[in-house]
Amino acid sequence: MDIDILLYRGALLAYLLSTLTYIFSLLIRRVSPARVATWILTGAFALHTLFFLGAWLGKGYNPFLRIHDILSFFAWVMAGVYLAFQLRTKTRVLGAFVSPVVFVLMIISSIGIGGPITVPEVLKGGLVTIHAMLSLIGEALFAVASVAGLVYLIQDGLIKRRKFSKFIKLFPSLQDLDRINHICLLWGVPLLTLGVLAGSIWARTVWGSIWQWDPKQIWTLTAWLIYAVLLHQRLAIGWKGHKTALLSVAAFVLLLATLLVEKSFFTTIHRFY
Amino acid sequence: MNLILIGMNHKTAPVEIRERLSIACTEGFNPLDEIKAIPGVGEALYLSTCNRVEILARTQEDTDAEERLKDLIFRHGNLREEDMARCLYVYRDSAAIRHLFRVAASLDSLIMGEPQILGQVKEAYRLAVDHQAAGIILNKLLHRAFRVAKRIRTETGIASHAVSVSYAAVELAKKIFGTLKGKKVLLIGAGEMSELAARHLLKHGGDRIFVANRTHERAIQMAADFQGVPVDFDHLGDSLREVDIVISSTGAAGYILTYDMIAAVLKRRKNRLLFLIDIAVPRDIDPRAGDIDNVYLYNMDNLQDIADDNMQIRKGEAEKGELIIAAEADRYIEWFNTLTVVPTIVSLKEKAAGIIRLELERSNGWLRNLREEDREGVEILANAIVNKILHDPMTCLKEESQEGSALAYVAAIRRLFRLDGPGGNE
Repeated sequence: MDIDILLYRGALLAYLLSTLTYIFSLLIRRVSPARVATWILTGAFALHTLFFLGAWLGKGYNPFLRIHDILSFFAWVMAGVYLAFQLRTKTRVLGAFVSPVVFVLMIISSIGIGGPITVPEVLKGGLVTIHAMLSLIGEALFAVASVAGLVYLIQDGLIKRRKFSKFIKLFPSLQDLDRINHICLLWGVPLLTLGVLAGSIWARTVWGSIWQWDPKQIWTLTAWLIYAVLLHQRLAIGWKGHKTALLSVAAFVLLLATLLVEKSFFTTIHRFY
Repeated sequence: MNLILIGMNHKTAPVEIRERLSIACTEGFNPLDEIKAIPGVGEALYLSTCNRVEILARTQEDTDAEERLKDLIFRHGNLREEDMARCLYVYRDSAAIRHLFRVAASLDSLIMGEPQILGQVKEAYRLAVDHQAAGIILNKLLHRAFRVAKRIRTETGIASHAVSVSYAAVELAKKIFGTLKGKKVLLIGAGEMSELAARHLLKHGGDRIFVANRTHERAIQMAADFQGVPVDFDHLGDSLREVDIVISSTGAAGYILTYDMIAAVLKRRKNRLLFLIDIAVPRDIDPRAGDIDNVYLYNMDNLQDIADDNMQIRKGEAEKGELIIAAEADRYIEWFNTLTVVPTIVSLKEKAAGIIRLELERSNGWLRNLREEDREGVEILANAIVNKILHDPMTCLKEESQEGSALAYVAAIRRLFRLDGPGGNE
């Protein structure tokens, strides 16, 4: 077996372990297992990083061509973003919401990892890679923003209803969650903007027009619009806390739903794999 | 092991007697020298806090040390003996060990889990060491007690839930804001509880206190106490824009902060989170304000509920603590039991070594004729035989000491081998 496949399997296993440990932490309502889980997640992320590096250096692997690789990349960015926040804020148990998402993405990804790749001519170009990478990182940041929003809503509800259960202690503070949401939007919107721009330029060179009325294009533009508006409201109007958390979650659910509809009923020029 | 613990605490002694003790405790009185002077007392520890007075001593058997220790307490309590005798408890050996562990771990405290008691036990031990009243038994026992206290603190939630109203407010603030660093607090009206809460908030990183009072002079005076800023009572809206936490406790009949006021303020402060604490009765803040997004409103009853719930949690955690204490007390007793075996084994080995030396000297006459290597061979043989013979009894002793029944074997071995010298078995 290739060393990179081994690294990939290792990462998958470690993601599973960290997810289970996080869930255990929630079940017994103690933060100490979450601490361990964070280290396991760090290990998983490291293995995953090594996998990307090894595959890229060894075989010139490009993770942006097949849905399986894209999911794996998306999961990797989510885990990385979460761990970066973990360094700055005491958000340990937030991992209990991030880690399962990452693991599920990895499971779906693992079904087809390492399979044959046929790259259509139209996708050969550095700009495509940049387009995909920036867009995916932006969207992964939105995913983390939404997870933070979800936990914010739970914590906000507990404090408002004066349910001073042990969960209140477990979850990060409202302000920390709000800050995560804020920072994710602050970075996510410009990255997705650049990603979309890169894609448009590429589309113009191959198809002659930036806009194809492609379902994926429409979807991405919707996502971009929603989060750009959210960021605008945050920065200009001063929306904070409950409302932004609610909207982040709603936006993400909406986007997931449209993505599913799009995947099931429409063909797209983005579906090359 | 002849450990005895005599004392009284907040559960057994009424407040009048505890007052007497508290006088003794503030005078810094320490009767260790007196205790040590009692015949039959080997080692002693004297613990006095405002909620308890306890003497832990290792005594010799068949002495009236216990009565004399009680007398000492009666004398210093300065009350009728019958009154005080009812308040006393006496624990022996394993019960005394467990009690000491419970005290050190704050399971026996008035507010269970409060952290001061461990420091007080440490101080009492330091005094015992200074007065040369602590020996091998108490040294080990106290160090074990400190370890038990630390284990219970980290392994159970005994100390991790706020059980006072003002600490509950601090904990809530932390759950909302994460850190209290840089957070501004507005204190409306005066009151012991609100000032205590404000002090706690400051202690945990709160940045600045603003003080509003219907009489402005009072506000200025209180602001000086907190090194804060007095603000205008009639323009509370302006202050509300700046602050993050509001503690209100005025004697006003109506609402000081209305729903509309807070809703308007929140827009002006760009929806920054606002934590309102209303400890006034009747209430100062319109309860509907708690429905506004990003506003968290708690009143006195809510905070008291949290404190009460947390006390229940602590009680539950205390049960886990008791398990740790039982296990650790057993471990200490196990150690104590080996302690009596160890000197026995040492003297047994010494006696055997002495016999070998003596017999080799006696046979020196013919041993001299042997070659160097052969003489060494004979010595090795003699040592080997003796060691083989002693090996099983010594193993048996060590094993029995684990079972706690070593004392009888120790006695038998000492008698059979005459380890206590000629006539020592009488």
